[in-house]
Amino acid sequence: MANLAAVVGIGQTKYQTRRGDVSIAGLLREAAVKALEDAGLGFDDIDAVIIGKAPDMFEGVVMPEIYLTDALGANGKPMLRVHTAGSVGGSTALVAASHVQSGTFKRVLTVTFEKQSESNAMWALSSPHPFSPHLNAGAGGYFAPIIREYMRRSGAPYDVGIKVATKDRLHGARNPLAHLQLPDITMAKVEESPMLWDPIRFLESCPSSDGACAMVIADASLVSESPKPPAWIRGVAMRSEPTMYAGREEVSPQAGRDCAADVYAQAGITNPRKDFDCAEVYVPFSWYEPMWLENLGFAEEGKGWKLTMEGATSLDENGDIPWNCSGGVLSSNPIGASGMIRFAEAARQVRGDAGAHQVEGARTALGHAYGGGAQFFAMWVVSADKG
Amino acid sequence: MSQPELLSQDFELGFTYTRSTGPVVGRFLTDLRDRIIVGIKGSDGKVYVPPMEYDPVTAEELSEFVEVGQSGEVVSWCWVKEPRDSHPSAVPFAWALIKLDGADVPMVHVLRASAESEVSTGMRVTARWAEETRGFITDIDGFVAAGDES
Repeated sequence: MANLAAVVGIGQTKYQTRRGDVSIAGLLREAAVKALEDAGLGFDDIDAVIIGKAPDMFEGVVMPEIYLTDALGANGKPMLRVHTAGSVGGSTALVAASHVQSGTFKRVLTVTFEKQSESNAMWALSSPHPFSPHLNAGAGGYFAPIIREYMRRSGAPYDVGIKVATKDRLHGARNPLAHLQLPDITMAKVEESPMLWDPIRFLESCPSSDGACAMVIADASLVSESPKPPAWIRGVAMRSEPTMYAGREEVSPQAGRDCAADVYAQAGITNPRKDFDCAEVYVPFSWYEPMWLENLGFAEEGKGWKLTMEGATSLDENGDIPWNCSGGVLSSNPIGASGMIRFAEAARQVRGDAGAHQVEGARTALGHAYGGGAQFFAMWVVSADKG
Repeated sequence: MSQPELLSQDFELGFTYTRSTGPVVGRFLTDLRDRIIVGIKGSDGKVYVPPMEYDPVTAEELSEFVEVGQSGEVVSWCWVKEPRDSHPSAVPFAWALIKLDGADVPMVHVLRASAESEVSTGMRVTARWAEETRGFITDIDGFVAAGDES
């Protein structure tokens, strides 16, 4: 049986278009120091450092981990880097958690980042290949046809994505760390924004952000050494599948369903909509909210969009299962960190430390990330209750 | 037996990036533009050149800049007999570890000399500046034997 571990410290930078004032190391450092301060600890209290970022090609720094040890106080300690495309922030948190749950280390610092203003994420995601035409599609171009298939199957009205885009930005306006601050956004404004990859409009897409997110994960025996309430890690799961294979279910990937079933079983979740108080789910393009509502079992197949349209996922409409109270990926997207931000924001909710986007009385929350061609999934369940 | 045709294609992949230097490396490069070389003092009292953002021992943020001399001593070196196009010299030169006066660690840079026999460990060298300085490490055109800098 794994040892019990908890999040005892969280640190995030303010997400924004460009952080020209700091080096890459300086950006990570900011989040790491905040997480340590939040945990009431210093670098000396940390046994190992686990970092994650999107593929090297994004920023053109090959193996950035080899120059980040000074900045993260990792000299003389184990340091490990995790790679799983866009889900890397989530899987990095899980690798960090597993190093504590296994008993290998007592306290681990985990940090993820992306400095997209210095990178070329758009085209590094869509590089040409010999003997093949260059699609120049980018992430939106890849996911648009899958969204269209969801719309065809479910018969969802055209404006579900518009609703998600509006709702998440209203959530983001409550979160001072969110990149996009759009308190006056309306569904009409989203609908009027340019169509980028039909059916995905400009305002239905995530921004490109600079930022870093860090957490301190501690063994149960050390949790009381940190002053704030812990977020107990009650379930952890990862699943992968190939990008393409005959018969692949791309709208609701099997790996996502399996990952959810695994993490729910660990945490005793039988009815996600009822058992969770809120969820932070990786939604970089608006329509992924209804799609993941179904994939993750919050709604029956074909009916996820109804939850969205009813306001069930909206904090501002007093929904029963608010999704992405922090504003989500649609409000801040430093790719390598985006998954960890979901995990950290889920933890902030159950620690009662989410400020103006706090779900009142939240005790149990889901953190979710996906990456690649919706083929890597990482999830955790955190709770105020030890279980 | 004839070989089957094996398909291959030249494939070049390139992206453009930018880089922010941050407050420490940025200060070092900015000072080079003014023909000044700075290091930074670590918690162990050592002066590190080029300066580091974080202390190698305590991981603390460093901020105490120290101007160091433009002359120093060759700690170690390697002669490049046949420079390639990407080298900073078209004629043979040395890569050298140079401990500048006032610094506690050596810095690698170009050492220009007319022959390998003129280079030795322990020799005194002096920075020779580029005609135009831009805030690049190449603002130091190279080091030369002390007395030869003009």
